[in-house]
Amino acid sequence: MILTHRNHHGIDIIALSGRLVIADVPEVRQKLLATVEQGNGKLILDLAEVNFMDSSGLSVLVSAFKAARAKNGDVALLHLNPTVRSLIELTRLQQIFAIFDDEAAALTRLSS
Amino acid sequence: MTRVIRLEIDSRPECIELLSDALCGVCRRLPATEIDRINLAMVEAVNNAVEHAYRGEPGHPVWVELELASDHLRVRVCDRGQPMDPHHLEAELIEPDPADPATWSMRSRGLFIIRNCMDEVRYETRDGVNILAMNRRLANDPSA
Repeated sequence: MILTHRNHHGIDIIALSGRLVIADVPEVRQKLLATVEQGNGKLILDLAEVNFMDSSGLSVLVSAFKAARAKNGDVALLHLNPTVRSLIELTRLQQIFAIFDDEAAALTRLSS
Repeated sequence: MTRVIRLEIDSRPECIELLSDALCGVCRRLPATEIDRINLAMVEAVNNAVEHAYRGEPGHPVWVELELASDHLRVRVCDRGQPMDPHHLEAELIEPDPADPATWSMRSRGLFIIRNCMDEVRYETRDGVNILAMNRRLANDPSA
């Protein structure tokens, strides 16, 4: 599920893959919350390789967002495929998540 | 011609993907966006059965009946767990507001998603079996 984790000038970038569903939620939530806790609360989630997500996957994204905001940070979503994007839009979560197709733009946003 | 297939899993999260794979195979002749909607609705309904009806306890049956016809696909997700309050089906989405942490809800999106992915949704408990029945009208004949 977790493909890669790297840090770019204090911003954590985590790439996920496959299905983000109820079976994967405990592992991914733990990883994201630990990353936010140990870092600056600035997190980019690269979802290019996530091909399916359900509402439990959304809850993981929101939990990371809440943890980040508690540290005055933020979470940006990167490279959403059409399936995931339509789920985010259906549930209006684009109103709290900054969404980018370009990593440099996401980094700029979280650096500001 | 209407055809029906019944699939059953144990109430464990890791088994739900099997249902997804089967549904995607059954619906393979539909447009990808249509398969995505139906699959998402089914997964949400099965999640509810596993998480809420059986309270996360493995060892119980969850079964799905897919009814394919020329103009619709019916999905019935069944369990023998704790019934859901049918009023939950009508729950509205909490609009996320970046300025209001109270709206950053962690849960309560599944039934909203189901309602928005399918054309008709109905919930009933009959003879100890909870049934979430969903219907999707189709432009493409899935059996063609």
